[in-house]
Parts: sequence; C-alpha cells; structure tokens
Amino acid sequence: MDRQYWIRSKPVYTSLMWHEKATAHCVIAAGDGGMEVLKLLQQKYPAQPVTGFFAKNQKTLKDYSEVISRLAPDEFSVFANEDAAIDSLRNFLPNCYMGTRFYVAGSEAFIWSVAHELANFGVQDDDINKQLCGTLARSVYCVHCKTVTHDVTHNIVECSGCQRNLFVRDHFSRRLGGYMGLMIDAEEPGNVPPIEEVYP
Amino acid sequence: MSYLNVKVAEIEQVTEVVKRFSLVDVNGEKLPSFSGGSHIVVAMDINGRTHRNPYSLMSSPEKTDSYNIAVRKQEYSRGGSVFMHEQITVGTELQITYPANLFSISKLGRKNILIAGGIGITPFMSQIVDLNRLGTEYEMHYAYRSPEHGAFSDQLIEMCGEQVHFYIESEGQKLDFMTLLAKQPLGTHVYVCGPEPMVDALVAAARELGWPEKHIHNEQFSAPQAGAPFKVKLAVSDIEIEVPSELSMLEAIEAAGVDAPYLCRGGACGQCEVEVLQCDGQIMHNDHYLTDAEKNNGKKILPCVSRANCQNMVIKL
Repeated sequence: MDRQYWIRSKPVYTSLMWHEKATAHCVIAAGDGGMEVLKLLQQKYPAQPVTGFFAKNQKTLKDYSEVISRLAPDEFSVFANEDAAIDSLRNFLPNCYMGTRFYVAGSEAFIWSVAHELANFGVQDDDINKQLCGTLARSVYCVHCKTVTHDVTHNIVECSGCQRNLFVRDHFSRRLGGYMGLMIDAEEPGNVPPIEEVYP
Repeated sequence: MSYLNVKVAEIEQVTEVVKRFSLVDVNGEKLPSFSGGSHIVVAMDINGRTHRNPYSLMSSPEKTDSYNIAVRKQEYSRGGSVFMHEQITVGTELQITYPANLFSISKLGRKNILIAGGIGITPFMSQIVDLNRLGTEYEMHYAYRSPEHGAFSDQLIEMCGEQVHFYIESEGQKLDFMTLLAKQPLGTHVYVCGPEPMVDALVAAARELGWPEKHIHNEQFSAPQAGAPFKVKLAVSDIEIEVPSELSMLEAIEAAGVDAPYLCRGGACGQCEVEVLQCDGQIMHNDHYLTDAEKNNGKKILPCVSRANCQNMVIKL
C-alpha cells in the first residue's frame, strides 16, 4: 500500500463526543455503530434533549439492539433495519432546529446515506460527527459505466455493472458515498495485479 | 492592480449622516457584473495622498449601468468619509477597483437570516436582489439608532415586504439575538454586518446555541488606526520606508511606489498578508483575518489595518 500520498477527498472519521454547545443532539447508528452509542452513553450525558436512531444490521456479528434498548433513554428507538431507521430520521428532521448536533456511526455506506438525508436539510457533512465502525468495506462507483458496487473489501473488484476489473482508489464522492474505481487492465487486458483484501 | 474609471452621476442625502453616490463608467459603458454582497475600493486624492476606502455595492446586481454606494460620515474619520461627503460633487471622477465579494450568500442555505446595524445595511441591499431572484427564504432584521437614521427603510419594505423587521433603538426596540436564533430550522445561515460589538454579540449567540461556524457569516471592515511612527524595511525590494502616525503601513508602502497586493483594505480578506521577518517591538493586530495563534506568533501582518509599536520592522515584500 502506498503511504506517501493523501487524497483530500477521503473522509476522516473520529470518535463520537457530545458537543458542549448545542440545543439538541441526534444520534444515528447501525450495526457495529452500536458500540459507539454505548461509548457515548458512558460520557457525561448532555443537558439538552437527545434523540437516537439505532438500526440492526444482519451482517454484523454482534447485535447491540437489546443492550441499547435496555441502557439508552426512551428517546432512543431501535429499528429492524437501516432503511427503517433512515425513514424515521427523515420524518424527524423537519422538527429540528439549528443547534441540533448530529452523530453518526456505522458502515461507510450507512454514514453517507445518513449524510445524504441531512444534506437535504442543509446540514453540511463537516458538521456531522462521523465514526466508521466494524468494517472498512467500500462502495465503489465505476467511472466507465457509473454502476456502484457495494461491500468491496479488496484492492481490485469486478464491476457489478460492466464486469471490468476496477482498481479501488481513495478518491471519494460525498454525493455518491463511494470511492472511484477504474479499469486496471485497460492497456493490457488480463494483466491484473494480485488481488488482496485491504478493506476488511 | 487594474482600476475602473467612474464618475459620480448622482448624490442623494439619505439621512443626516449618510449619502448615496451613484457611479457610472466615464465612457458610458456598462460596469462589470457582480454578485450580492460585493464591495469596491474607492481611491481618493486627499491633500496629495491617495486614500482608499472599501464600500459595499448596494445597487441591484441585475443593473450594471451604475454602481451605488452609501457612505456614512464617520465621527472619527481619517478623512475618507468626510472627503466623500464634502468634496465629491456630481461629475467628480474617481478610480475604483473591480468588485470583489467577501460576503456572498451560501447556496447551501435553506433559509437566511440577515442582520444589519446602521450603515451595515448596504451589502444586504444587493444580496436581497439575489435572494429574491433565487426564491430562497430569508428575513431581514435591521437595527438603527433612531427613526431618522433608518436609511433605505422604504426601499427595504418595497424589496422585502413582510420579510423585513426594523428595530429602532431610541424607541426601545431591541433585537434579541438568542430569541431570534433559538428556533430556526436546520440549514439556516445567519449574516451580520454592523458595528463590532453587534457582530461580536451575534457570533457569540450563534456559537452558544451550537450553530456550526460555516453557518455564521459576518463582514467587518476595520479602518486603520493611527499610532506611533516606525520604520519598515522591505526585504525583497530592498528599500526602507517610514510609516508616519496618520498613514497605514499599506498606504506608506504604496506612497513609496511599491505596488503591494490588497483587496478589501479593511482587515477582512487577507490578500495583503505579509511575512514579518523581524520586529523589535509589538505588532498591533487590527484585522479579523489572522487566527489568534497567528497573531500571537508575530510572523504575519495585514498592513492594510495593522501596525506596530516598534522602531524597526523587516517584512518580506
């Protein structure tokens, strides 16, 4: 892996921490993001109202929904899947005021589908506290056929749309929530470097 | 830098202390287009010295056959506003810079709260035209000292309808920032232009309520302060100049014939930032651009508004 360069579009994720200055807090987490919710609950609980959305994710080993329903305040709702949590969030956002702080934890795909909903309400992604949990798996959009291939764990992946061998780059699209993938063997068809797991 | 040559086509006494100047191209051409919130810098020849002041463009960005600026006669003027009020007549030719915008409306906003104090109303006059065209939701909150100081309030009612709110200090009408900002929908941006204490109070209230920095916009042009004279060596040009007490560093540099970069001349944009190589005293930072860390570090200065309490300074220019 080349470590000599840094692609500026690649998002930086950080641990969740309650903002001191706020009028309300909104926590949205899925799957392994449940651990981040539990860590938040161990910090000094904010004085302002908190609303939480937690979605189960069948793909993760550990299910945090039981422990969250038991430990978290009533304002935390648990959903059977990510889509249900995001639907509920969408209905909640029109009632939020400026000063509401947002905390998101889960897979990268989940984080950016939440960011997309928030962007519709004028919340900029820089102002969302985001933590990547459980997996580094990437969504990869093919620059040739524009198809997005999900849950990519390797440096090279076959595009689910056009079957080209795509090299997964660090260039990230906030709009698509995915990384750029481009054909690795365009010059010499079939000459594909070793395929390795790099985003477990 | 390149300039536009304009002449004064019309002067209107708007209030006791505010005059509006309409500027047109000397050859009758259209002036360059601009976006709401832009400003120009007007050059004035005062007793053989070139004096430059920034003014917001308050005319409609849709009409570029003239630019309108409003000038408040300052009580503690360094000469610029008094010159504009007393020496400029219809027909006077002036040099202005191309418009630049340090106070544009964020296109990501879903609602905009505009707050003006006194003459700080001017940048909003052109922004409102843009907002009306875009159809973005906004509220204009305009505070001023007394009824006779409410410059352009009739025009604002015409432009904004029910979206404009007036707060007249002498009648005890107070604009409470915490109340105003407390229940705004997500995606609201706030813009403030006015006296420094007002801007500071608004920014503090927004931060206290947890508004992200990118949603808080302000425009403040400082005027350079007079101070003790000092010597500046320009290391690259290899010349030494004296900054007299009544000139800014930038003005003294320009008077020596050096074409130094600048844009706003009010300590807001950072265009004139220069590296300080040596200073045997204290830099008096007067800008809104450098971070506190940079100010404490003493390696940078904005010569348009800042100076130093020192004998000798060396800058990389």
